[in-house]
Amino acid sequence: MTSIDTPRAGAAEAGAPPAVRLDRISKTYGNSTAVDDLCLDIAPGEFFSLLGPSGCGKTTSLRMIGGFTDPSAGTVLLSGEDVTALPPDKRNVNTVFQSYALFDHLSVADNVAFGLKRKGVARAEIRTRVAAMLERVQLGGLGDRKPGTLSGGQRQRVALARALVNRPQVLLLDEPLAALDLKLRRRMQVELKQIQREVGITFVFVTHDQDEALTMSDRVAVMNEGRVEQCGTPEDVYEHPASRFVASFMGTSNLVPGTYRDGQVVLDCGPALPVGPRDGVADGAAVSLSVRPEKIWLSDFEPGMALVRGVVRETVYSGPTTTYLIELAPDVTVSVLEQNTDRSRMEDRWCGGESVEIGWRPEHCLVLE
Amino acid sequence: MALRTPSGPPGPPRRRSASGTRLWTWLMLPGTLWMTGFLIASLILVATLALGTTDPLGNPRFGLNFDNITALADPAYRIVLLRSLVFALIACAVCLVVAYPVAYAIALHGGRFKHLLIAAIVVPFFANYLVRMYGWSVVLSDDGPVLKVLRAVGLADGHTRILQSGVGVIAGLVYGFIVFMIIPLYAALERMDLSLIEAGRDLYGGPLRTFFFVTLPATRQGAAAGAVLVFLPAMGDFVSAQLMGGPDQIMIGNLIQDKFFQGQNWPLGSALTMLMMAVLFVGMLGYLRRTRKDEAEAAR
Amino acid sequence: MTLRPLHRRHRRGTDRRPRLALAVTAVFFVLLYLPIGVVVLFSFNAQKSLTVFKGLSLRWYTAFFHDNVLIESLGMSLRISLVAMAGSVLLGVALALGLVRCRTRLGSLAGLIMLVPLITPEIVTGVAAMLLFKGMGITLSSGTVMLAEITFSISYVTVILRSRIAALNPEVEEAAMDLGATRWQALRLVTLPALLPSILASAVLVFALVFDDFVLAYFTTGVDPQPLSVRIYSAIRFGVQPTINAVGTLMLAGSIGLIALALAIPRLFGRRGGLDLLSGK
Repeated sequence: MTSIDTPRAGAAEAGAPPAVRLDRISKTYGNSTAVDDLCLDIAPGEFFSLLGPSGCGKTTSLRMIGGFTDPSAGTVLLSGEDVTALPPDKRNVNTVFQSYALFDHLSVADNVAFGLKRKGVARAEIRTRVAAMLERVQLGGLGDRKPGTLSGGQRQRVALARALVNRPQVLLLDEPLAALDLKLRRRMQVELKQIQREVGITFVFVTHDQDEALTMSDRVAVMNEGRVEQCGTPEDVYEHPASRFVASFMGTSNLVPGTYRDGQVVLDCGPALPVGPRDGVADGAAVSLSVRPEKIWLSDFEPGMALVRGVVRETVYSGPTTTYLIELAPDVTVSVLEQNTDRSRMEDRWCGGESVEIGWRPEHCLVLE
Repeated sequence: MALRTPSGPPGPPRRRSASGTRLWTWLMLPGTLWMTGFLIASLILVATLALGTTDPLGNPRFGLNFDNITALADPAYRIVLLRSLVFALIACAVCLVVAYPVAYAIALHGGRFKHLLIAAIVVPFFANYLVRMYGWSVVLSDDGPVLKVLRAVGLADGHTRILQSGVGVIAGLVYGFIVFMIIPLYAALERMDLSLIEAGRDLYGGPLRTFFFVTLPATRQGAAAGAVLVFLPAMGDFVSAQLMGGPDQIMIGNLIQDKFFQGQNWPLGSALTMLMMAVLFVGMLGYLRRTRKDEAEAAR
Repeated sequence: MTLRPLHRRHRRGTDRRPRLALAVTAVFFVLLYLPIGVVVLFSFNAQKSLTVFKGLSLRWYTAFFHDNVLIESLGMSLRISLVAMAGSVLLGVALALGLVRCRTRLGSLAGLIMLVPLITPEIVTGVAAMLLFKGMGITLSSGTVMLAEITFSISYVTVILRSRIAALNPEVEEAAMDLGATRWQALRLVTLPALLPSILASAVLVFALVFDDFVLAYFTTGVDPQPLSVRIYSAIRFGVQPTINAVGTLMLAGSIGLIALALAIPRLFGRRGGLDLLSGK
């Protein structure tokens, strides 16, 4: 799966060279392959996420853009310029590290000023730019403090300010929110997105959290075992997963095994469901039907919906929603997510052991090989 | 386009290494060359001179002659070597027996004071070795406090002496190097998962059985490391025998010192040095094989 | 029988104080400090006796400060310690950095060479150094002591620094390079400042160790002012000299102060655990 075409027009066609282009990049350590013949274009000004489980090669890819890891093969281009041979200090990209990697012996202001000093920017300009940047990340007045005295969220902001103040072509972020607690993380997600929109710098964001990737990104590349499984807008990737891996990695997905035949999928558990003709799926191929839990209905069915009978095995109430685990056949269970708008009262909910009918619109179900 | 069709074959890598091996090598070089030049070269020199001779004026001459090696077979030397070995091993054993309870008490029952207590042991041990040994010899002297106490409780009579005896020399070695036993034991005991002891109490019952079946095995590597760290300097020591022992207690270190300073027979002194190194080498090999085996067992 | 055991306070790990171990520890501490106490006490003795205390006096200290030979030796020891400290810290820090970062075969060889002094009895290093100097036709002097002490001390510095460097977050150095620093600048501006507490601590430790060392000094010293420890050695071999009690007390005070300082330095810089400094040896 070296290349996947997506409907979205890339930067190359718009005339300007992509902010980042990875051209057939590979990285091997001894016998293991971290990144496998990867090609990727990232448009200027884009918020781009590399999403995948740990060990999928996303951090290695990021490190090769930053210049901390030498690719075993392939080329890294920044704005059309080959930088593969350049060390990190010669590349106009900056990184926000997972550990923040702050300089503990320097004050917050000196941390932020570090890059500008290396570039030989005039003192007065350094002072104003550092002050403005600290203001922007809401750290005004903390410039004299040592990083060790700051909270986790504040340290994160220092790391961000220290990178952004250099006005890099591309900002690389390696799971920068992983160390924060959930509430702070949600707030920083919104803030990061805001800052990115304001400064207009290309962000390349590495994360293993699909929520994070979906909320923040313009585009997401889902990686697995050193390769990109799918690349596209959050909606693309979530609504139209191109593979079983993507479907199951992007949130909960029900995968029901079956066989494709004449525009129908015959489920292993019995019923045949019309799914319409599918290109590239051979008759008799073993497939999985993928339906998101929130796209399955439990009542008020519309005409044309695919309907299946099952037995409620478990009812999980979680505030705004209720999740039902419904067994269609032995070993085939789907989860169904319902908003608690109608069934607000206990007695209205389905109970374990009840036989129910579930249904979904044909366009909401995907056929995955 | 998110993912483009590849353009051409992947090119060969052509770049400055991202790991910066060259700088690290340059940083490493001066120290390594210094150590090689002064230490390794000088050790080789000792080995070479062990095969040399002395001219009539007593000056060392290089050569290829095994007289010094055969001279080592002399019973006089054999006794000294054997004595050194026995003294050093007994000192190791005494260090273990004394250091274990001390490390145990501090690591497991030291509470808030544990760092302070271990510092109170370590700090004086790194203070001047000679002054400490000198003070120790005063304490162990015929009318020093130790013998006074022993006499008072009836464990010694008017003729008992500690100095000028093997006991004195061993006491000196123990006092000199016991810290090298305490530190690794303390580290091992502190690292030990305390729930092991609780599990042991569950499985074996009594505290004594727990100690022998759980605590002791868990700290065996610390004890082995401590034994090596005590054995090495104890074998080479010559101060203890000089201050605490008499003419019948001299160790191999004293012989070497004598050959280089009083006797002026450097080749023979070199041969004695090599003999000592050989004994230590065998000891180290034994230790390494032991730890390898332990690690292999732990890995399984 | 009462039901007391049921209400016994539960201690983590063991629920009973090991009386034997505590007794051994108490005796150990007494015997550990007794010799030091004796030296200190009798350095203030008005009489020459080493067994009977006959009133307080500073006469042995006065005697020491009026003994030109001993004062010269003290100065020599201080000079040797300073030079050895500077030399071994310089070489040792660089060596430690190289050893941790350089994963080549040369690196592992250097790592082995570095360990040799730690597993060789001092008498062997002393004999070997003396033979080397004599063999090269160098007259033994305070200079040869300095060279020998540097060689021996590099290992200490390297062992202490190596664990600290390995514990550093590699991303910090990468961050510096990311911000435009060359590898060398990153080392100078970020890594070395982060290592400063350990470097200072190892410097103080080396100073104290060299100042106290006598085996190596004894084999490599010449006849120009000998290091103080060599003087002490000659003195205590030839019987009781109360002046030595005074010198010894001063040296004990000095080195205990320095070692305590070395242990305290990491804490002064706001890091915990100074004791790991010594875990290497």
